[in-house]
Amino acid sequence: MAKYLLKRFFLMLPTLFGVALVTFVLIRVIPGDVVELRYSGDRGAVSQEVIDQERHRIGLDQPVWRQFFTWLAGIVRLDFGTSMWTGAPILQEIKLRFALSLQVAIMATIVAVVLAIPLGVLAALKHLFLLIVFKWLPPMVYTPFWVSPRQNLAQLIWPALAVGYRYSAVATRMTRSAMLEVLREDYIRTARAKGLVQNLILSRHALKNAMLPVLTVVAIEFAFLIGGLVVTEQVFNLNGIGLLFVQAVAHRDYTLLQALVMLVAGMFILVNFLMDAAYAWLDPRIRYR
Amino acid sequence: MPALAVARFERRLCRRNPVLGGGRKERAVRRATTVGRGAKPPAECDEVPLRGATLRGVVGTLLEVRNLQTHFATRGGVVRAVDGVSWDVREGETVALVGESGCGKSVSALSIMRLVAAPAGRIVGGQILFKGRDLLRLGEEEMRRVRGREIGMVFQEPMTSLNPVLNIGRQLTEGLEIHLKLSPADARRRAEELLAMVGISDPGRRLRQYPHQFSGGMRQRMMIAMALACNPSLVLADEPTTALDVTIQAQILELMKDLSRRLGVAMLIITHNLGVVARYADRVNVMYAGRIVERATAREVYGRPRHPYTLGLLRSVPRLDEPRRARLTPIEGQPPDLTRLPPGCAFAPRCAFCVERCTREAPPLAEVDAGGHVSACWEAARLERVGEPVR
Repeated sequence: MAKYLLKRFFLMLPTLFGVALVTFVLIRVIPGDVVELRYSGDRGAVSQEVIDQERHRIGLDQPVWRQFFTWLAGIVRLDFGTSMWTGAPILQEIKLRFALSLQVAIMATIVAVVLAIPLGVLAALKHLFLLIVFKWLPPMVYTPFWVSPRQNLAQLIWPALAVGYRYSAVATRMTRSAMLEVLREDYIRTARAKGLVQNLILSRHALKNAMLPVLTVVAIEFAFLIGGLVVTEQVFNLNGIGLLFVQAVAHRDYTLLQALVMLVAGMFILVNFLMDAAYAWLDPRIRYR
Repeated sequence: MPALAVARFERRLCRRNPVLGGGRKERAVRRATTVGRGAKPPAECDEVPLRGATLRGVVGTLLEVRNLQTHFATRGGVVRAVDGVSWDVREGETVALVGESGCGKSVSALSIMRLVAAPAGRIVGGQILFKGRDLLRLGEEEMRRVRGREIGMVFQEPMTSLNPVLNIGRQLTEGLEIHLKLSPADARRRAEELLAMVGISDPGRRLRQYPHQFSGGMRQRMMIAMALACNPSLVLADEPTTALDVTIQAQILELMKDLSRRLGVAMLIITHNLGVVARYADRVNVMYAGRIVERATAREVYGRPRHPYTLGLLRSVPRLDEPRRARLTPIEGQPPDLTRLPPGCAFAPRCAFCVERCTREAPPLAEVDAGGHVSACWEAARLERVGEPVR
C-alpha cells in the first residue's frame, strides 16, 4: 500500500514538469505580449525604445529557454514571481482568491455527493426522476471563513448549491449506472442467496463497488471547479480564481497565467493522487498489487 | 401402482437403509401411508407421482418441486427455461440435475431460492415444498430467512460470486450475524472453524484476506463454507466445479460429499458432468429442454439408461476405465429453441430412436422399472435391449 502510494506520488513530478513546459510555450504562442497590451491604448505615442526598455525590465527580451528555466527555478523554491501587469507578488494575488474558490469547490462537492449518492441509488432501484428548484439570495462581499464562519457560509452556500446541483446531476447519473451495473453482478446474487437484508446488500455489497467510477467523476469535477467557475463567479460577484484567470489572459500576464495554470494542473494532479489513494482504500485488488 | 412393485421397492429400500428396517408395525404403517397417498397426480402435472412423494413421512422428503414452470420474457418470445418439472430431494440425500447448458438446470436452482432475475424471469407455476412449506407462497422477508439459513447455495464461478472489495471474514460472518444473531466475536470464531472445516489452513490469517488472494479451489472452498455457515439442511450447488481445473474438481467434490455426509446435509448438484454424477449422487434427474427426461438412481442411469438423451450423454463422455476408443460419439444437432418447442418430444430431431409418434406427441414421464426409474420416451422399452454396459 505505502509502496503503491509512493510510486504514485513520485509520478506526479514528471507530470507537473510537462504541464509547466506546455503552459509556458502555449502562452507565448498567443500573439501580443503584456507590454504591447499595456501601451496599446496610446497607439504610436510610445516609442519602440520605451517598449524595449519595459520588455527588458520584466525579462521578456531574454531567450525563451532562459526565461523558462528562470521561471522553473523559481517554482521549485515556490517563488512564482510578480505579476507582469500589476507588479504585485503572484502568491499574494492567488492566495485570497484560492481560498474562496477552494471553499466553493469543496462545498459544491459536498452538496453534489450528498445529493447524488442517495438519489443515484434510488434512481437505480426505482427509475426515479427528480427536479429541484433552488432560489438564492443576492450575493454579498466575501468574508473569509475564519473571520465569520456564519456570514461566510451564508454567502458561499448559494454558489455552492448552484454549482453543486449541476455537478450532482453528473454524479447522480454515474451512481445510478454504476449501481445498475453492480446490482447485476454475481456477488450480489450470492449476497441475496445468503439471506442478507436489502439495505445491507446495497450499502455493504453494492455501494462500495459502485463508488469507484463515481469517485472518479467527483474528483475530476472537483479539480475543475477550482479554476473553472468563471461564469458562476461572475454571477455571484465572487472574486475567485476563475475571474483572475480571465484577467490574466486578457492582459497576457505571462507570469500570473503560468502560475494559475500550474495551480490548476497541480490541483488536478493532487486530486488524481488522492483518488488513487481512495481507490486503493476501496479496492483491495489495487492495494495488494 | 402395483402393490407388488411397491413391496419390492420397499424391501430393497430397507435392505439398503438400516434405519428403515424397523419392526413389523412400522412397516405396516408405512405401507398404509403408501397406499393412502396412492397415485394421485397433481391435475396439471404430466408426470407420474414421485416415489419420494409416495413415501413421504418415512424417508423424509426435504424438498419437493412440483410442476415448476419458470419462464423468461425475451424479445424473441417467452423462453420456457423450466417447463413443468417435478423432482424431490430427501433428507441427507445427494441428488443430481444433469443436462447440457441451457436446459434449465441452473434456473431450477435459482427458482428454489427465488433468485431468478426479475423482471424478465418469472416463476409462472408450480409448487416448491420445502419442509412442507410452499416457498413460492412465502413473503419476501420469510423467504430471506430461508435463504442462507435453511438452504445454502454454492455458485459456479467462485471468482465473480465473491465480493472483491470485502474480506473473507466479512463475507463469511455476515450470514452468521444476521441469521444466527451471533456477536461479531462469536461469528469470527465460527468462521475460523468453518474455514478449517473446508480444509483451508491458517484460517485466522485467511479471514483477513480478500478473494483475489485465494486460488480458485480455495475460493470454492470458501463458497462451500459460506453455504454451510448456518447449518442449512439443503445445499444447492450450481455447477460447483465447472470453473475449476480438473485436479481441484475432484478435491472439491470429495469435500462436498464428505461434508454432506458428516453434517447430514442434503445436496442438489447441478452439473453437465456425468462423471460427477456417477461418483457423488444418489439419484439423478436428467433434464432436456426445460423438462426432466429421465430419473433413476445413479447406478441405474449409468448401467441401464432408458432415455436416448441420457444414452447420448453417456456415450459422449470419455472413460478411463475402458480401453481408449478412436472417438467419442457426440450428440448430433443443437438443443431446441426454447421459445418454439416442437409439438412432440423435444429431443426427437436429434434422436436415433425417433419414430413417427415422437414428432407428434410428447412422451410423458413414465415408470420403466421398479425403484422409481422413470423415462419420458415412447421407445424406452427398445432402449432396454441396448443393454448393459453402455458400450
